[in-house]
Amino acid sequence: MGEHASYERLVFKNASVYHYMKIDLILESEDKRLNAAHFKQLIISALRDLYGEIGAAFPFDVLKFEEDTLTAVLRVYNSGLVKLWSALTLLGSYHSEPCAVRVTQVSPFLLALSGNSRELELD
Amino acid sequence: MFTNLEKCPRNLLVCEKSSFLNEKSRHDIHVAKHFFNYKVSILIPECGIIPSFLSSVVNGFSKYYLVRDLPLHKLLEDEFLEKVVKTGSLYALSYKTRIDQDNTFAILPTGQVILSVDKDTYEELGLEGKASQYNHRQPMRYVVTIDMTDKSLAPGGKRYKRVMWALKEKVQLTSDFLLARYSIGGDEEGLLQSCLSQYSCKELRPSVSTQTLRDLLCPSLDPADLRRDARSHDPQQFLEWLGTVTMDMSSNNEATSFVSTYCCPEPQSSMSQALVYTVTGLLLPEDIHSLLKELRRYFDEPRFTSWLSMTVHGFADSPISWGSTEHGFHKGGENFYTFVIFKNQDYWLHMATGANDGCPP
Amino acid sequence: MVRFKSRYLLCELCVSDQSSLQLLDDRAVFTGVRGAVCRAHGDYGAALCSVSFAVKYLNADTGVVFLRCRKSHYRILWSALPFITHLENRGQKVPCAFNCLYVGGTIRTCQKFLIRYNIQQLHRMLPHCHNEAERLEVRRAVLNCSLKSLEKEEEEDE
Repeated sequence: MGEHASYERLVFKNASVYHYMKIDLILESEDKRLNAAHFKQLIISALRDLYGEIGAAFPFDVLKFEEDTLTAVLRVYNSGLVKLWSALTLLGSYHSEPCAVRVTQVSPFLLALSGNSRELELD
Repeated sequence: MFTNLEKCPRNLLVCEKSSFLNEKSRHDIHVAKHFFNYKVSILIPECGIIPSFLSSVVNGFSKYYLVRDLPLHKLLEDEFLEKVVKTGSLYALSYKTRIDQDNTFAILPTGQVILSVDKDTYEELGLEGKASQYNHRQPMRYVVTIDMTDKSLAPGGKRYKRVMWALKEKVQLTSDFLLARYSIGGDEEGLLQSCLSQYSCKELRPSVSTQTLRDLLCPSLDPADLRRDARSHDPQQFLEWLGTVTMDMSSNNEATSFVSTYCCPEPQSSMSQALVYTVTGLLLPEDIHSLLKELRRYFDEPRFTSWLSMTVHGFADSPISWGSTEHGFHKGGENFYTFVIFKNQDYWLHMATGANDGCPP
Repeated sequence: MVRFKSRYLLCELCVSDQSSLQLLDDRAVFTGVRGAVCRAHGDYGAALCSVSFAVKYLNADTGVVFLRCRKSHYRILWSALPFITHLENRGQKVPCAFNCLYVGGTIRTCQKFLIRYNIQQLHRMLPHCHNEAERLEVRRAVLNCSLKSLEKEEEEDE
């Protein structure tokens, strides 16, 4: 049996350094367009409002942004998750027009975002 | 600066490396014990058309049923138990109930009935249970486990009557259910439907979608090197990459890019195309096992790729994850596993869970 | 007994023109510092910091300021101070910088430190005197503002 790979098991606790968030941006008027860079700038300004220049100084990535549905997947370091989430919650306007962010799913594994069983619609 | 804001819930990732040819390999146990599967996604590198075996296996997947407003005690009735539960393996999970706010029920193929209920219902119900492991200070959620295979719960007995009384007269627990049944013969097609004829019952098949990706970067994998200490990327990075592929994200960003700095882990190679094949529904472990078997045979013929992967997502709102380990939602409720199958029948298995979950077996 | 624990920040206002200190008052320092905290740490930091935040003491002659805030959050205040470049009072801008000398748990420890610090400063600056007359001038000034001389004056008044 020597030719087969030997059994090996590794357990990682809190090994993932990132958290991933799937979010929806809801704008009041439908005709506004924005691209990924605008969207990230919007989030950064929300962070700066809530946590100031020092508090907002952490990196995060917009892994994916769909311009037609305004959904995005963000990647953020674990230490910035709570800050980013709370800033998104309190984000209330884009170009002086009301807007909101809905957080659909949060996970330490990106793969988990591709299978959300709460989205199962059978009707 | 705000250290109290920097904490986040724990997560677990268990990685195993072994070979399907190993006698002691436990891959089948891991598959069989993950009862409620929501989605399977298969990634086959360097593959343009769906292999014929794949669609035939998936076509053979068991049907499942969505039953509306089904009282729970119906599923525990004498007749139903005899006909359905004891003759095959029944999987039942309440549909559109959220484990962190609603009452959630599940019937495992082992004959166990699990009720995850809130405090008020638990107190009204008067059945013996335990406080949930994932309560915050004050217990607000309780888990009642009823083992129908237990002798003392034989129909007609005192304890059985008590359970039925609690579910029928004390609190009428009703919910929409997803039901599926696996029996080796597969002869009783309409059995479930005929048993539950007085309720609105909808027969469903797992839905399938495919996607072909072109020109992507992919990390080079070496089956012997799970830990990846010699090289630079570890299992987390591989899973992250797999996520970007299944969600169709760009994985070739500049380090100075404003929007995203994600990059495929090194060492990498390029791939001209890849096939992502997903199946969604209430999928039974038995079917996934047969799918895994077929996937292993993919390498019987010469192929361009040396590996392929299969990811199985569990239901986030099921009261259990692996075996009968309690499962909670907390922030994501994720519980999934990924097989990476290599040409030489070696495999990697990554099992991941979120905060409110036990360690995978 | 349980009490609210505070931190007192003993700061020195550094200005180029000593007389401009006279333009400042408690309120100007208060709003200036709060604005700086808001800029550096946002609404969240400003809210945390504003609990029991107060300007306890401002000496317009020496530029000594005592700031009070809750012990758990004094770092927020502390880290925002270097970002202050000017204070404003009634439309007049006073360019200045905060030099935090000491962080203490009570006003008393701060005062003790301040005395020690001032003595140190005096010892450092005395050798800069050019002649005996200047030295005597300093000596008289120091004696003048001591409490003993005050008591004497009061007695004389009576």
